[in-house]
Amino acid sequence: MLGLPKMLHQLHLFEEDGISYAADLEKARVVELSAVMLDILKLAETQTDDTIVETLGASYPEDEISEAFERFSELEKEGLLFNRGEDLRRSFETESKWRKLLVVIPGINVDSFFDIETLSAGTNMALAYMIRHLMEYTDLHFVGSRNRKITDGVYEVDIGIDDLIRLRSKIAETYYGILTLHQEQDRWLLPLYRYPEFPPILVQCHAPRGHGGHAMNSIFRHYAAMRDCDGFTAPSDYVRDFYANYVWDPSFFHTLPNGVDSKLFRPMNKTAAKHEVAKEVGDDRIAIAPTVGYLSRVQSEKGASVYLKLARLNPEFLFLIAGPNLGRYASQKLPNNLVYVGFHPREKLPLIYNAFDVYCFPSMSGEETFGLTVLEAMACGVPPVVPNFDGVPSVVGDAGLVADAENFDHDVATLVSYPCPIDFSIKINSLLNNTEMWDAFSEKARQRAELFTWYKTAERIVKLFEMLRHKRKLINPNRLLNVFAPTPPIENEGLQELKCRSVLLSMNANYERCLMRDAVYPLRVEDGLVLSILKNHTPREAEAVLAELVADETEARAILKRVRGLIDGTA
Amino acid sequence: MVYQRRYRLKRHHKFERDDRKYVADIETGDLIQINDVEWEILGRYESQTLYQIVERLKGKYKLTMVFDGIERLERLGRQGSLLSPIVEPVAPVHTKVEQTDRMPRLLVPFHFTNEKSALDYVTGLNRYQLLRHISAFAELETLAFSEIGGEKKEVSDFDEVRVRNLRVPKSSALTAPWYALDGYDGILLLSQFLTDDLLYYRVPDVPIVHCIDGVQQLRHSLLKTLLTLSAFQHSKDTLVVRASWMKEWLAELGVPVENVRVIPDGIDVVAPIGDKALAKQHTAAIFEKPMFVERPVVGLISGFEPHRGAKWIAAFARANPHLAIFVYDAMLAQHYQHPPENVVIFSADDEETRSVLPIFFQALDLVCFPAMPGTPLSIILEAVAFGTPCVAMAKYGMPPEVADAGVAVNADWDHFGNFYVPMQELSRTIHKWLKPFEARGVCDDFTERIVHRHTRKDAAEAIVQLFAEGLQRETDNFEKTESTLFPPIFCRRYEPETGALKSSVYRLGINRDDDDLETALAEVLSEGHTSAEVESVLKHFQPESSVCP
Repeated sequence: MLGLPKMLHQLHLFEEDGISYAADLEKARVVELSAVMLDILKLAETQTDDTIVETLGASYPEDEISEAFERFSELEKEGLLFNRGEDLRRSFETESKWRKLLVVIPGINVDSFFDIETLSAGTNMALAYMIRHLMEYTDLHFVGSRNRKITDGVYEVDIGIDDLIRLRSKIAETYYGILTLHQEQDRWLLPLYRYPEFPPILVQCHAPRGHGGHAMNSIFRHYAAMRDCDGFTAPSDYVRDFYANYVWDPSFFHTLPNGVDSKLFRPMNKTAAKHEVAKEVGDDRIAIAPTVGYLSRVQSEKGASVYLKLARLNPEFLFLIAGPNLGRYASQKLPNNLVYVGFHPREKLPLIYNAFDVYCFPSMSGEETFGLTVLEAMACGVPPVVPNFDGVPSVVGDAGLVADAENFDHDVATLVSYPCPIDFSIKINSLLNNTEMWDAFSEKARQRAELFTWYKTAERIVKLFEMLRHKRKLINPNRLLNVFAPTPPIENEGLQELKCRSVLLSMNANYERCLMRDAVYPLRVEDGLVLSILKNHTPREAEAVLAELVADETEARAILKRVRGLIDGTA
Repeated sequence: MVYQRRYRLKRHHKFERDDRKYVADIETGDLIQINDVEWEILGRYESQTLYQIVERLKGKYKLTMVFDGIERLERLGRQGSLLSPIVEPVAPVHTKVEQTDRMPRLLVPFHFTNEKSALDYVTGLNRYQLLRHISAFAELETLAFSEIGGEKKEVSDFDEVRVRNLRVPKSSALTAPWYALDGYDGILLLSQFLTDDLLYYRVPDVPIVHCIDGVQQLRHSLLKTLLTLSAFQHSKDTLVVRASWMKEWLAELGVPVENVRVIPDGIDVVAPIGDKALAKQHTAAIFEKPMFVERPVVGLISGFEPHRGAKWIAAFARANPHLAIFVYDAMLAQHYQHPPENVVIFSADDEETRSVLPIFFQALDLVCFPAMPGTPLSIILEAVAFGTPCVAMAKYGMPPEVADAGVAVNADWDHFGNFYVPMQELSRTIHKWLKPFEARGVCDDFTERIVHRHTRKDAAEAIVQLFAEGLQRETDNFEKTESTLFPPIFCRRYEPETGALKSSVYRLGINRDDDDLETALAEVLSEGHTSAEVESVLKHFQPESSVCP
């Protein structure tokens, strides 16, 4: 049984060749209905299951009615015909006509973005902060499996990943953009780029390399498939600079720095903080000794082994670890000055940071585009020491010390760098042995952290979508026609295999004359090839083909540039 | 007559709701929102041709909106919604013709003003004769455009060719080939000089017969044109050349010749003016050269690359001072001012000169074609029509067209109009054939046979038949309507094993890397190109022949 009455989707009922159908306008699907199903549907919004069975019992055999109910419950499970969750139609009608952004992040429960303690990964944490600030600039609709209001302007909507392509016209009409997260294993996003109807798609990228090459290859695929009006965001310029070594158009990578909550993360009375942590951990040394801090999972990728080496090199300092557990260290004999201070809820983290004299960030993972904890430590006035690696130095600027690191040309498993323990040690010592220097860096760290706000991040997202919407207006179809023809042999070279050339027509596929002078123009075969590829493929795909076929990259880039100019200029 | 439709409309239902228009695809369960113009297109899709749909709707909507609407609907078709590709071949035109017992309606685009410089008198005459004879087997129509609002000037019918006067808006962007979509059974192209004609090859489903002018010589420029034409052609189209050696030459170059037909121009042969002696007297009188009566007369008939021809003629004339030499060549007649004294160069470029040409041909004791592949077949036939034996310099053996008219001397010919004649052997052969010779007897009733074999009526009928024949040929996979099942994304790929970055293919649907870039490229290209084109492009990029090493 269905538990009727229930609210129905906007349906259009019609009959064709004696068969009844319901067109579900909210799911863009058509469902065939038996006679009894049609009758049930007519009563579904007002009557209970029992009343309906009773009412229709006179006209239909019992098993037909129960079969119909079964079919309806299958359809409901598929999200068809019946409204799942709250009735949002009215709230959408009465609410402001503010613009709406569709957020598609499968695999993460929507509620967790609003309950930060449920999130552990820094990426998701950053995402949660970003979303909570984005709300102040735009309505957010999360793709999900039911309709409900989460908070003012924030909704979960009954649009599944599988519905997206079918609902593209509606999505284009309702949303000014689609915000999503790059996840290597996802398969739903690549096909979306093939549909010109969708509004701009902005893909947040937090893991640009590592994972044994999988991260890069996934980014390459998205880069190739994206339309001109889509793009990536990454927290630091480093991602764009890194991909500039591999792709011809790094402008697809937009820098979107993270922010920090400077009200929560702020300098406190350091002595008091150290005492409190010492008391809690039960280690008095914390209150009196100079402390170095590490706040992360204890894993190779995060530089756990480097941190251990630093502790061994500097027995006079205490090396504190705040993380979910001791991870790799659990089975090792650890030096006496390495102290685990436990795992703490988010609101308590400012206290932990304040108990550190220096924040040490020895990460060597390919996912390190930013280093959110570095910014949090800085906001607490703790000078950071970070490796000269990927995106982290750009966050620190001149408000911390940057230690040497061996950056790898290629991914080695998930590692892409090795921070130099000696240089780290020198930098830590210089801060802990020079009060004046420490004071100066502490002040600068706090000041710099205040420049990174989540409001700026949110505002930048809105601006990026505006920019992409402009780009979308400039996209035009490629209707040019070209033919590949053999080239006559060259005199005095005897009979040889015919070479190939291309010929461009002045008439386009719509029988319009798009070039005035001649009916046909000779083209290089490479140009013709790009012209043909760009009919149904992106310039980034043509780039991949050219990179393989034309050895001289300067020439290859020139080909793509002029063919794109030709298409855009004749559209 | 619905030729252009490539999709069948699935079972569907259109409806409006809250000022929005929808169409439900009952077969797939898709519900698609459409705009006003798409709504109207759908209503006409089954019963009207693309041409009719656009012509009917272009007054109400902007032209691009109509095309965009059709494009979007057909894109839906490729994605599996609303339309499904028609797999069965389009019904051949000839069955329709037989059923309705009407003549095929052919479009003959004319641009005589544009090609004046390229047309000589003979070409124009041949073309006129051809059209006159074709009109016995087909309705011929040509297009004339004038602006709406401008001065109304109707172009009147051109002999047998009906003129379809089209009034178009001044700003009309549609090109002439658009109007070829309007129910023609075929398009007859008569010039290889007009690149504009190439645009007609983009008109789908209408077979094209492209006749190469008979007077064309095998030169590099013609070769380039023919190679281009061959690339534009689809299986339904036919290229008509005027002599067997043209086809052999193309085949030798590796150009596909399945759709190349040899149909010689019909010839007109006037009655002989009397015996050879009389013809010689006339010739001598016209040129004021008694040698035409006193010496054996040998004709050297055109086909030369002009510069090389002049040199060779001079050498031949000096080597054979005892001969009177009659050269027939338009270019040399104009530019070769001072040939040796035993040479006369003539060209027939108007009605008057044309009328005396047969007298000279009758005066010849031997006719020689030193550069035969460059000689128009009709001239060859006319030159041998009075029973004069011929010596042909041939690359491919004695051409079947003149098989029993004389003897061949092997000569070479390259693709640039250069000919190489072995002077000694030629002179020997000429002297042998100038003496009374038994073999000459066979040539006596040649005239009658040759005229009988090459009538303009037969040529016209053969050409018209090619339209029906073209449609019966197996179609290539051009203009595919089915989309690739697992669409490729061309992308770069980093290989951790080697550290190399290479271009690769990622297949949507099966979500798998596929290193076969070439196959994917062929798939993508075949959506808009013939298999011959695809093959030549791929060959071009094979490492050993890459132009960008």
